Amino acid sequence: MKEYKRFYIFSPSLRIWHWINFLSIMVLFATGIYIGNPFFIGSQGVEAALVHGQSLTMGLIREVHFIAGYILLASFIFRMLIALIDGRDRLFIPKVWKSEFWSRLGETLQEYALVKDSSEGSLQIRNPLARTAYFLVYIAILFMIITGFGMYGMSDPSGFWASIFGWVVWSLGGEFPTHMWHHWVAWLIILFAIVHVYLVIREDFTKKTGEVSSMFNGYKFFKKEPADLKELK
Amino acid sequence: METFWEAFKRHGVSRRDFMKFAVTITGMMGLAPTMVPKVVRAMESKPRVPVIWIHGLECTCCSESFIRSATPLASDVVLSMISLEYDDTLSAAAGDAVEEHRKKIMKDYWGNYILAVEGNPPLGEEGMYCIINGKPFVEHLKESAEGAKAIISWGSCASWGCVQAAKPNPTTAVPVHKVITDKPIIKVPGCPPIAEVMTGVIMYMVLFDRIPPLDSQGRPKMFYGNRIHDTCYRRAFFNAGQFVERFDDEAAKKGWCLYKVGCRGPTTYNQCGSMRWYNGLSYPIQSGHGCIGCAEDNFWDNGPFYERLTNIPVPKQESNADKVGAVAAAAAVGGAIVHGIATKIRNSGKKEE
Repeated sequence: MKEYKRFYIFSPSLRIWHWINFLSIMVLFATGIYIGNPFFIGSQGVEAALVHGQSLTMGLIREVHFIAGYILLASFIFRMLIALIDGRDRLFIPKVWKSEFWSRLGETLQEYALVKDSSEGSLQIRNPLARTAYFLVYIAILFMIITGFGMYGMSDPSGFWASIFGWVVWSLGGEFPTHMWHHWVAWLIILFAIVHVYLVIREDFTKKTGEVSSMFNGYKFFKKEPADLKELK
Repeated sequence: METFWEAFKRHGVSRRDFMKFAVTITGMMGLAPTMVPKVVRAMESKPRVPVIWIHGLECTCCSESFIRSATPLASDVVLSMISLEYDDTLSAAAGDAVEEHRKKIMKDYWGNYILAVEGNPPLGEEGMYCIINGKPFVEHLKESAEGAKAIISWGSCASWGCVQAAKPNPTTAVPVHKVITDKPIIKVPGCPPIAEVMTGVIMYMVLFDRIPPLDSQGRPKMFYGNRIHDTCYRRAFFNAGQFVERFDDEAAKKGWCLYKVGCRGPTTYNQCGSMRWYNGLSYPIQSGHGCIGCAEDNFWDNGPFYERLTNIPVPKQESNADKVGAVAAAAAVGGAIVHGIATKIRNSGKKEE
């Protein structure tokens, strides 16, 4: 039996970002679904003007949504900065200009289609399919930030946020379509999260690479050097 | 042309009433009290501005709204403040006589008159869906716009396209700014716009001899700077989470927020919440009906009006984003489980290396 070797993959800043991002997205999704279709949480029979702060009201839940939105924005900027600084944190870029990208993409697709055995094919820290998915999710998160702060800022159309993100409201054809787009893309991110969790667990089961724990401790385990390890150096 | 003050004197208006009027319209235009002397000065010195008001593909609701303006009275605007030289709906004259007059005014005040456009030009079939004076309206519009100082796009028709431009837009109706591209255009959307907003825009333009400050969409900032939601008197119920669920429930009687029955207040920019209609009497939300967003682009296609989330096209059933999303998420979880089991079977019987 060949020994597994330990490879340092994820920087501490990336791991911290990942979990902050996860938490803020969960809070944003839960509060966002409520805002789209609100219902009573025990605020009946109270004078509307005084109800704020007494229980979980629409106003409070929107406030939580906005705070989580600010955290998502800050963490996204942080993520882009660490990607600029350290090559280790640039694994989300799909290198479509390289031929290995396409051959490995085929391998991964065959593996997921159960055509190939999971143990066949080359070892990779991050396969091209995952890179493409992460890249698209970053775009989706950016889209949510832009549309979210666009709508948030347009309560003061000559204010700061509107001057930065207000344009998105008009390029999507008005504020109502912007609300709808914000809603649809939120669901896409949740769909990604479900598939993401499944594939990470699957990877851990089939290849024993320590995929799940790698986002806590930063290490993955391989028997030989993975093909894309040189990108980390 | 005589000045406003001269025209007022001619109508027997006292100096005191004239001053009251100046103070009132300063407030209606959204200007600070410190601007009152400037408004008075302008009314004493500025000549009245000739206006040509043309009608394209429309329902005349803008005119109907306009003539109900209370502060100032539309009659004051038409008779004293502007010089409404051509309006085929309001003018007593008709036919060739009034068309000749339009051409004469255009020649005499070339570059100085304001063109007000109500309705929009249909481009389909070479403009044959709207004929004015024997010619397609689009030609009438282009001809009238040539010598105009500025163009006011009255209502959602001229500003966005409105109902006649809703899908599938059989007449290819387009807003004015798609046809006239070389003139400053002030959009005054709404179906119709609030009467006092209409007169307010005209007053600003004639008193200060410039177009009002516009937002990125070309709408006057002082009238379209807020969402109806942000000025709505029912906003407290929204923040409290107290919503009307059906139009016949207890909450509707209590006057709670109409968000869940499709109110478009949160996505619509207009003055309904603060200026209101009929001299400040009421507005749709106050009467218990949600806003339908008539001042917004494409409002007609953003239905249904009585639902918060629009349907997304799932064949053969009514579905909104939440329903489709929940089904897709459940399918993804189910798919993951099935795929996981299949993976297990595929890899079974394999030894650890």
